[in-house]
Amino acid sequence: MHSIKEIFKYILLLALVIFFFFPIYWLIITAFKVSSDWFDWPPVFIPTRFTIGNFLGTEGGFQGSLATAISSITPYLSNSIVVALVTALASMLIGSLTAYAISRFKIGGMFFASWIISIRMLPPIAAALPLYVMFSHLNLLNTKLSIILGHLVFTTPFSTWILITFFNDIPRELDEAAYVDGASMIRTFVSVILPLSAPGLAAVASLAFIQSWGEFLLALILTSSAESQTLPIYLGRFITGWRIAWGPLAAAGLVTMVPVMTFSLIMQRYLLRGLTFGAVKY
Amino acid sequence: MQTCYKASAWLMAIPLLVLFLGFTIYPFFYMIGISFTNCNLSAWEVPKWVGLKNYATIFDDLVAAGSVEFTILLVLIAVPLEMLLGLFVAFLIDDVVGESFWRSIVVLPMMIPPVVAGIAWKMLYNFQYGPVNYFLSFFGIHRISWLGDPVMARVGVIIADVWQWTPFVFLVLYSGLQSVPQDLIEAASVDGASRWHTIRYVHLPVIRPLVWVVLIIRLVDVLKLFDIVYMVTFGGPGSATHTISYYIYKVGLSFGWDIGYASALSVLLLIAVVLLTNVLIRVLNVRQLLGL
Repeated sequence: MHSIKEIFKYILLLALVIFFFFPIYWLIITAFKVSSDWFDWPPVFIPTRFTIGNFLGTEGGFQGSLATAISSITPYLSNSIVVALVTALASMLIGSLTAYAISRFKIGGMFFASWIISIRMLPPIAAALPLYVMFSHLNLLNTKLSIILGHLVFTTPFSTWILITFFNDIPRELDEAAYVDGASMIRTFVSVILPLSAPGLAAVASLAFIQSWGEFLLALILTSSAESQTLPIYLGRFITGWRIAWGPLAAAGLVTMVPVMTFSLIMQRYLLRGLTFGAVKY
Repeated sequence: MQTCYKASAWLMAIPLLVLFLGFTIYPFFYMIGISFTNCNLSAWEVPKWVGLKNYATIFDDLVAAGSVEFTILLVLIAVPLEMLLGLFVAFLIDDVVGESFWRSIVVLPMMIPPVVAGIAWKMLYNFQYGPVNYFLSFFGIHRISWLGDPVMARVGVIIADVWQWTPFVFLVLYSGLQSVPQDLIEAASVDGASRWHTIRYVHLPVIRPLVWVVLIIRLVDVLKLFDIVYMVTFGGPGSATHTISYYIYKVGLSFGWDIGYASALSVLLLIAVVLLTNVLIRVLNVRQLLGL
């Protein structure tokens, strides 16, 4: 009786795991399928022939399908890297300064803290409308700077919040000792607090990178050409096309997914801490 | 001395203040202003003040009603499903051999960008060659037009959302379960409590605050749903899978360019989000979390 229940439990677990994993598996294998396997019935679940042509653009496709290749992704890839990196560094910098001020001097109190949370809750579309109009007046539309600024609005609250929890864990006596020795506030911050919270800074930068890399709506609205469009926009344009070549699409998706997934898995605990405002610490 | 430090502390916060005043507070007042005008980006005329006309239009707008309806469906079906499934998976994985292996597979969906998840689901739902229809054929179910039928498209979006965000609910609640003191569980079993009673009286009280937090975060995030819809159904067929965010995008920045009307819709959406956020701030016990 007991063992039947055990077996049932594992079968259930296996079914759930298949449900959660299968779409990712499908994306990965499709990226490596030869073109005749993209559309087949029954679908090819375990491909026997593999190709990297979908990445290189040599796998072709079929009559009238959108052609794609790494060469056409490159500008978007480099935009994505620039935008995500600058966003990550800037939000780490801005976040750490503010977090220190809040953690040690309680500036703004509850109001400030609640404000930061509400920005996290803010629907991107509600920010995107006025930002679009604003940036069009400033002639900033279709620049990387516009996306970076837009992303900063959403990543900085996270960074600040997580860093506050990090700084709170550093004993206050350390700051006081530095002050007594005559260090200025900035000096204390730079040479005492920052080195001690290096893991926190790394976590915050990676989280901002993840958010910025995968962000779709703002980037979609604020940009209109390969000069500034990021990878997700490239995918979005691709998928609304008429006849979709699955292999290259999946390959492009994989390129978009891999860096973020790697970062997320490494930074899992901080990701969670950020997503739940520190309600979860494990 | 202390006041002097406090002043320089405000100096440190200046970059953030500039960012927020410039890119959130100012734009919002701007948006509220626009919502009372007939501002249209495709028209060349100067926007005129139209009072509450935009807000009045919302109540006659069937597509807006449809998008609210779909969003409510998401709230009533997708969110509870995610909560229950997440809770269930958390208890299940807490109780088996190889916890960390199972956990790292189950959390994968929340780690991938929604846009990429959209690609995967679009392929899976394909009418002619999609694996979903293939699996269903085992059960004698004839091919379903997932993206062509208004009802099934909605079901499709709900499934994709459940797929992507159940792992988040799971991970939060699972981490909560890890913090349940082991001796409490042992004490319960010594006292002869059944598994069910242990869950009910030992585990659940510990994770209850987390359940609230994750529930509210999911509610707010479902109001923002955009990426998956854009990628998988493009809001269609017709306007069946328009979410509020998607409809605002379409009206304001994609097809209609009617910024005035889109702003009015956004203002209403914002009011809903602000209300939910207030609940969250109460539930979170911000003061204690930040050590204020």
